[in-house]
Amino acid sequence: MARRYDSHTTTFSPEGRLYQVEYAIEAISHAGAAVGLRTNEGVVLAAEKKILSKLLETSVASEKMCKLDDHVAVAVAGINSDANLLINSARLFAQRYAAGYSEPVPIEQLVHHLCDQKQGYTQFGGLRPFGVSFLFAGWDKSSGFQLYQSDPSGNYAGWTATAIGANNQAAQAILKSEYAPSMSLNAARKLALKVLKQTMDSTILMPEKVEMCEVARAHEVPSEKHIRFRMASDKELEELCGLANSATLPTS
Amino acid sequence: RLETRARRGDRSRRNSIAMSIMSYNGAAIIAMVGKNCVAIASDLRFGINQQQTTAVDMRKIHKIHDHLYVGLSGLATDQTTLSQKFKFRHNLYELRENRKMKPETFAHVVSNILYEKRFGPYYAEPVVAGLDPETGEPFITGMDLIGAMAPTTNFVVCGNNEESLFGVCESMYKENLEPEELFEVIAQCLLAGVNRDCLSGWGGVVHVISKDKLITRTLKGRMD
Repeated sequence: MARRYDSHTTTFSPEGRLYQVEYAIEAISHAGAAVGLRTNEGVVLAAEKKILSKLLETSVASEKMCKLDDHVAVAVAGINSDANLLINSARLFAQRYAAGYSEPVPIEQLVHHLCDQKQGYTQFGGLRPFGVSFLFAGWDKSSGFQLYQSDPSGNYAGWTATAIGANNQAAQAILKSEYAPSMSLNAARKLALKVLKQTMDSTILMPEKVEMCEVARAHEVPSEKHIRFRMASDKELEELCGLANSATLPTS
Repeated sequence: RLETRARRGDRSRRNSIAMSIMSYNGAAIIAMVGKNCVAIASDLRFGINQQQTTAVDMRKIHKIHDHLYVGLSGLATDQTTLSQKFKFRHNLYELRENRKMKPETFAHVVSNILYEKRFGPYYAEPVVAGLDPETGEPFITGMDLIGAMAPTTNFVVCGNNEESLFGVCESMYKENLEPEELFEVIAQCLLAGVNRDCLSGWGGVVHVISKDKLITRTLKGRMD
């Protein structure tokens, strides 16, 4: 029955569903998980790398995380080539805003712009939607540290902690019980990896399988200029993975 | 070089001097090459319609990244717009290529941006000064307002009173100066050069860029 209404992205089904959008969301549930947590000191993003091979040339570019501007970054879940297009558009938008207003782009506006683009592909053109969900981490002067999630439909929401990709329901359940808004950034980093460990298939967390980044204050100085994006170093990941592997989650 | 002359139309100001758009606001910029370092200096005056000095803290040198600075002389509004455009281009470059721009590359970007407006130009003349992010080799170049580059290995000047600035630099410049010595030379050149020009001066700023150190100092000069 669904078959008749799912080939054109821009058509509703009789039950009022957009099948292509739902299929896109389904595609993402097979992608590597990404989890985000917001604290008063910064926002942490951690993700599981799906593409692993000794033959892979690891360059500076990351598979899951991307910097959009000095004060905002994304974690990607889904089709990477789709993500690249959107990331490029986001970077341009951020720079144009900065050139016009001499101010870094507010996070919600950036998210909104990207989501408007995603929505367009569900309503016009007859093209398939983007198979990407993003977790945006950033800081701006008016709203402080923020975490947003967007999906292929173009919907977005702000979160204190959330997860996308494979097993995200399990991740969200853990976050619901363990996350506290007053957490320190360090605690958030540890929790992010703990959550990833639970959602990934393996019993131990290998540092090569994960990526982590944060948008936080440098030197804990409360000043706009000191917000910066930082990818976690290999050493840091090793340390945190070790902690995650030895920690046990509370039973309640 | 292109220069437009516009005569003020209204009768009450009939006797005022012919206005050149490049001397509307006033500026003086020098860049010099030292031993594994570069220095760039500018004055701080911001004037309106030549006679009025409106601000004495107008920075004309803009940081692109830790080892690359660009100084802009000419019309102030074009200075601001251009520095925003340069920041825009460099930010995107850094995000896409995951590295900082080399000074020569940046100079070419500047040249392109200026030449795009060949037949209705930005009234600003830039000076680019920087070190190669990898090798640390110094690079400076000056440009006219439509982007003709003039890279040299010693010094470049731009501003209202280029002749004076050239003169002092020719006499005081020496090759292979260490950062502190280079600071002294460029500071003295700037202060001496702007003394003969009413449209620039009112203090100065000097940046000396070496591989792991940046010296930024404000100069106290004659406030006239």
